[in-house]
This record gives sequence, structure tokens and C-alpha cells, in this order.
Amino acid sequence: MLPELGNFALILALCFALIQGIAPLYGYYKNKSLYFQVSTVAVIGQVGFLSFAMLCLIFSFLNNDMTVVYVQEHSHQLLPFIYRVGAAWGGHEGSLLLWCLILSGWTFAFVLFSSRQLSQKTFAKIIMVLGFISAGFITFLFFTSDPFRRIFPEAPLIGDDLTPILQDPGLIFHPPMLYLGYVGSAIGFAFAIAALIEGKLDKSWVQTCRPWVILPWSFLSCGIVLGSWWAYRELGWGGWWFWDPVENASLLPWLSGTALIHALIVSEKRGAFKGWTLLLAIITFALSLLGTFLVRSGVLVSVHTFASDPTRGLFLLCYLTLIIGGAFVFYGYRIKDFYRAPNFELFSRETFLLINSVVMLTAVATIMIGTLYPIILDALNLGKISVGEPYFNTVFLPIILPVLLLMGFAPHVNWGHQSFKKLWTKLRLNFMLCLLIGLIGPWIVGFPFHLLASIGVFFGVWIILATAQYVYNLLKTNKKIDLSHWSMIVAHIGIAVLALGITLTKSYSEERQVKMQIGETVTVGGYQFTFNHMDEATGSNYKSIVATFDVSQPHGTTRSLSAEQRLYSSHDQVLSKPGILFNIWRDLYLALGTSLPDGSLSVRIYYKPFVRWIWFGGLLLLIGGLLSLLTLQKKKERL
Amino acid sequence: MKARVLLPLIIFSFVVILLWRGLSLDPNHLPSPLINRATPAFQLNTLFDPKKTTTQQDLLGHVTLLNIWATWCGSCADEHELLVDIAKDKTLFLYGINYKDNPVTAKDWLKKQGNPYQIVATDPNGNAAIDLGVYVTPETFIIDKKGFIRYTQIGSITPDIWENTLKPIVKKLQGET
Repeated sequence: MLPELGNFALILALCFALIQGIAPLYGYYKNKSLYFQVSTVAVIGQVGFLSFAMLCLIFSFLNNDMTVVYVQEHSHQLLPFIYRVGAAWGGHEGSLLLWCLILSGWTFAFVLFSSRQLSQKTFAKIIMVLGFISAGFITFLFFTSDPFRRIFPEAPLIGDDLTPILQDPGLIFHPPMLYLGYVGSAIGFAFAIAALIEGKLDKSWVQTCRPWVILPWSFLSCGIVLGSWWAYRELGWGGWWFWDPVENASLLPWLSGTALIHALIVSEKRGAFKGWTLLLAIITFALSLLGTFLVRSGVLVSVHTFASDPTRGLFLLCYLTLIIGGAFVFYGYRIKDFYRAPNFELFSRETFLLINSVVMLTAVATIMIGTLYPIILDALNLGKISVGEPYFNTVFLPIILPVLLLMGFAPHVNWGHQSFKKLWTKLRLNFMLCLLIGLIGPWIVGFPFHLLASIGVFFGVWIILATAQYVYNLLKTNKKIDLSHWSMIVAHIGIAVLALGITLTKSYSEERQVKMQIGETVTVGGYQFTFNHMDEATGSNYKSIVATFDVSQPHGTTRSLSAEQRLYSSHDQVLSKPGILFNIWRDLYLALGTSLPDGSLSVRIYYKPFVRWIWFGGLLLLIGGLLSLLTLQKKKERL
Repeated sequence: MKARVLLPLIIFSFVVILLWRGLSLDPNHLPSPLINRATPAFQLNTLFDPKKTTTQQDLLGHVTLLNIWATWCGSCADEHELLVDIAKDKTLFLYGINYKDNPVTAKDWLKKQGNPYQIVATDPNGNAAIDLGVYVTPETFIIDKKGFIRYTQIGSITPDIWENTLKPIVKKLQGET
């Protein structure tokens, strides 16, 4: 019964999405504002029925209704309850339903919070665009990827179970968070289309648009970081980023989203970069759709891809072409209405932010070329290759460094015109100090010199200290530091912490692969690991071997660290669950390998300093983004 | 000015065309580097008489279907019936390599399910398979009369693949001197 209701809810949601898209068009044709209001009601209908559909799917999982194909493929009698909920979006069909639900949720939130901030006609255009996007995706979902498809009458009694790697808390948080970011970029896109239709971009547009760009970006930052943390905990090799095509696909909209946020600032404060803002908004959503396509079409090899189906890929590609191609054509026609002669000099904050955009898009192009390169070569019959870390690490670092450098200077640079001499005089002491810290800092703390670490420390400390100097200057001149300042400060420091974490952990991590008997000790990174004992344990759907180690720290205290090797009954697959001892400065990471015939265990031990800073940096980005929202609340209250 | 404005659209068109081409390609299909090369030398024991050895010389003089299989491999079981059927054609020489398997289980399996192979070699460590570039079971090689590998079939052989792909190649090679 429940799956049928879910299916029916999908159909109704599709109808509402179509109404949401078509009603404003009709309203223009008939010149009646009633139809605009109809589309607002349609939004509520859409989010309501999609939520209901998702609930139906989740309950089908909780009940382990094996007559539903999707449930049978991803669930199991012994699968813990929490993972049954996560399994609802663990496969292609369910995650697509989540995509649609989140899009309707964003639209609903937009209606709730921003309906009064825009003229009714502008508002209607945005809702219309979102309606059409939504309708397209629900159509795709319903006709090619229906999660409620059923098998009658011979339903298998046993489920195929959720892939063991997915049976982790990360499954609960990472996809929804990531999708909030991905899908949210549709709103910025809708704003851009609305502006192109109207041929203007005024203050109310920019001010209203900003939170709907920053909030998805913050969620995307958090989602990417959650994915990295999950991979680290799950995969057993201490790695946290692999330049996998799907990882890259999530990074691309983040990069262009960063450029968009900064272009929006210029549009708001100086009325410049309007055309650029529109282009970036379209590009960000285009990249997000590209990512959705790459994960589901089978054109690239990745550990993240869903079961590939070229027919689905074709549908998505056509849809992508229609929406984004249409947007770019429209952009080409209308962009000349947005041109303005630049009213800033070569050395000014506008230029700094322009460089930010250029660098971000260069990074996007570089990463995209690397990700798509295997397809390019294969399509031209030039052979099969894979592009991985060596390429991406080599090209990404030199691209990102200029931005890190400019980030320190930028808050101090005036709008319109800035004298380089004055800027340098203000900051040179700070700059020199950071150079010094970069050079000898790690050495003072006890680490050997390593170029990457020094570069990272220099840039990270530079951003932090230059931003601190900015705060100090504000306080000194008795200017109030309001929330919009704080959001920039926190976000920039987040980047600094991220840079520090990445460079330090890459430079100073230590790894050992050893064969250990009970009682043996191994030293890694100054810590001693002693193999204490082995147990057997049982989970609800797995059996495991648990190895416990004593870890003694340089200053005496000993702690216990356990790692597991799980055998999942359904998959005949062995999953290694590493044990991690962490504090703010370092992670001690231990993963089990195979048991050897003589009773010893093959073990990988990692010392990873500062690795938590990577995810902490991501958290700061999320906080910084959320802070900027509060700014808008305050603005509203003041009015 | 017009050109610059159309730039995003042009770049986008290229990407879309590339992706459309990509849909008809299979990134997981990795062609064997051994095509048109001589079968790598190997020396293995036979399954039914462990004292007897077999080498790549046993592939000469006839077109061979060299099939890598194991009793623990589900897809191998899928194609076994077809192999028994194909083996009824006596002009075809089927050579099996039992890969990383238990010889008792393997013999038992062939007794119960039928033995399509003229020779069954055992490769308990997988060394011969490594030389052949095997990375998934089952894998089937079509080897010509001179011992050169002419085609690799990765994954199980379905009736469709046999009729439309493999059989024509075999017939062509049998026509060669």
C-alpha cells in the first residue's frame, strides 16, 4: 500500500511542479497576478507530496518491504534501523528522490522567507524557473528511476543488503548535506534567469540573492568535508581526498560558488560585475548538474558512481543541455544590457575580487579537464588512461597559492583605488613575520624542514594574522564589527586552517605496515603501539575480529586503541574498520589487514598530525556562511 | 563582443558533445595488451593427471578457446552450459585453466556438469593467469593456429556473444593456414 501511495504522491508532486512553472507564464500572458499566487501554492503542494513520498520510501525500508525492488536491492533483514533510513538515499533512485525533495524544500524556504523582498514579478520568474527544473527532475525520476517499482508476485525473501562501506554514520549526514549544497545552487541560477529576462539587476535582487547563494555554499562546504572525513574513517588507508571524478564533481560547484559569492559582494557594494555574477550563477548550477550527470551515467570510473545506465545518462544529458544551453544562449542575447564601464582602478579591491574569480574558474577548468580527460582520449580513440593524484596535486597547488596570498591583503584594500605603497607599509611587518614563521615555525616545534609545510604555514598564518590585523584596525578606529565582517573573518580563517591542515598532514604524516604478533611493539611518530589481545565480536549483520592495542604516548600515559575486521554475512565481504585516537594536534590511525597463517596480523599504523584541522576548517566555512545569514535577519529587523 | 559572449555556450557545447560520446563508450572495458602477440609461455599440471604437464605448445596447430574458470566463480557457472554445448563441435579445441581452485572440487564439478575441455590445466597460484593479464574471471582467449592471441572475452560468454562475436572470429581463424 505504502509504495503505491508514494508513487501517487510523485505524480501529484509532478503536477504541482508543472503548475509552478506554467502558472506564471500564463499570468504574464493574461496579465493577471492571480496566477503568480497560484504558483506559490503549487510550491507548498510540491514539497508536501515529495516529503510524503520520501516518508513512504523510508517506511518501506523500515518495514523491509521486499516487494519494492529498490528496497530489496539495498536492504536486509539484519540491517540496523538507522542504516535502513540512510539506505533510502543510498542508491540511484532514492538519492534522486532526495534531490527532488531538497529542491522543493529550498523553493519552499525561498517562498517563506523572501516573498516580500522582491517585486512580485521578479519573484514569480524565480519560482517559475525552479518549477520547470523541478518538473524535469521529477519526470526523470518517475519515468526512468522510480524507487517504488515493485516485483509481483515472486518477491525475493532476502534483501541484497546495503554495501558494507555505506553502513556508517557518514551515510546519514553526507548525502543530505551535499545535496543541500548542490541543489541549492538552483536558486542562484533562477535568480540569474530572472535578471536576464528583466534585463536588470537591482539592489533588491542582489541583497535578496546573497543568502540564497551563501547558504547552499556553506552546506556544500560542510558536505564535501563530511565526505572527506567519512572516507578517512572508512577506507582504512588514512587518505581523505583522492581526486576521484565524483569528488571533483563536488569541488567544481564549490569553487565557482566561491567566485560567485565574491562577485555578488562587488555587485552589492559597487554595482559592478553584474554580468559576471549572472554568468557565475549559471556556471555554478551547470557544474552541479554536471556532477549529477557524472555520478549516474557511467561515463567515468569511480567508487562513488551508482549503477550505471546509459539511457538514464542520455536523459540527464538532454535535460542538462536544454537548461544550461538555454541559459547560455539567453545570456548571450541579454548580457549587453548589463555592461557598465568599470569605475575602479587597476589596484583596488574590485581587482582583487576579480582575480579571485579568474583563479577560481581557472581551477575549475583545470580540474574539469583532468576529470574528463579519460573520456576525451577514449572518444578520439587515443587509448585508455586514468588521471589521478599526480596531475591534480601538481596543477592545483600553484593555482590556489595566489588566492591565499591575496586573501590576506584583500580586506585592507580600498574600493575603487588603493595605493600599493600604503598597503605594503601597513602590512609589510606582518608579511615578514609570517615568512619567518613559515620558515622556522615547524622546526621550532620539532618537525624537520619540509618545503610544503613551510609554504602551508606561511600562507595559513598570513591569512590569520592579516585578518587579525584587519579586526584590530577596525577596533582601533572604533568602527563596529558587525556580523557581515564576522562571517568573512570566520570563513577566511577557515580556509587558513584548511590550508594548514592539508600541508602539515601531507608533510609530516608517518606510516608503517607491519606484521605483528600479540605482545609486539612498533613505534610510529614517537608513539609506541603494542598488540595487546584479539577478540571476536558480533554486530547485527556482521561478525568481526577486534584487535586491541596499547598506545603509549611520549609523556607516559597509555591508552587503548581497537580496530576491527568485519565480515558481513550478506556480501561475503571483509571490511576493515580502523581505530582512531585523536586530539586537536594529531590522529593515531590503525587499520587491520589480513590475518596470517602463523597467527600474526598485518597492521597499518599511521601518525597523522593536524589532519583534524582539515575538517575543522570546513566547519569554520559552514559557520562563516551561517553567520552571514544572521546579518540579513538583522537588516530585516532594522527596517 | 559577440564572440566573447558566446564563449560559455561554445565551451558548454564541446563538453556536451564529449559527454554524449562518452555515453556510448565503456570506461570499464580495458582491451588486453596481448592482442596479436604470442601466448606467454607457461607450464602447468593437468587437473585429471597431476603428473602430466601442459605448456603453451599444446595450443599450436588448431584454433583454441582458452577459458579461465573456477568453481568459486558464479559467472563461470553461468557460461558452463554454453561451453559444453560449444564443445560438441569437434573442430573446436577448448582448453581450460582452473584458476586458484581446489582440484577435488574442480574435478567433481566437471563430472557433474560436464567437461567441455580437451585439456584442463590447474593454476593454483594464479601465476599463469597473471602472465595472461587476467584480472577477472571468467576470461576467454581465442588463440589462432600459430599460438597468437587474437581476441579476449572478458566476463562470461552468453549465447548472443558466442553467435555474434566469438563464433565468426573462430570461423575466420579456422580458415587461415
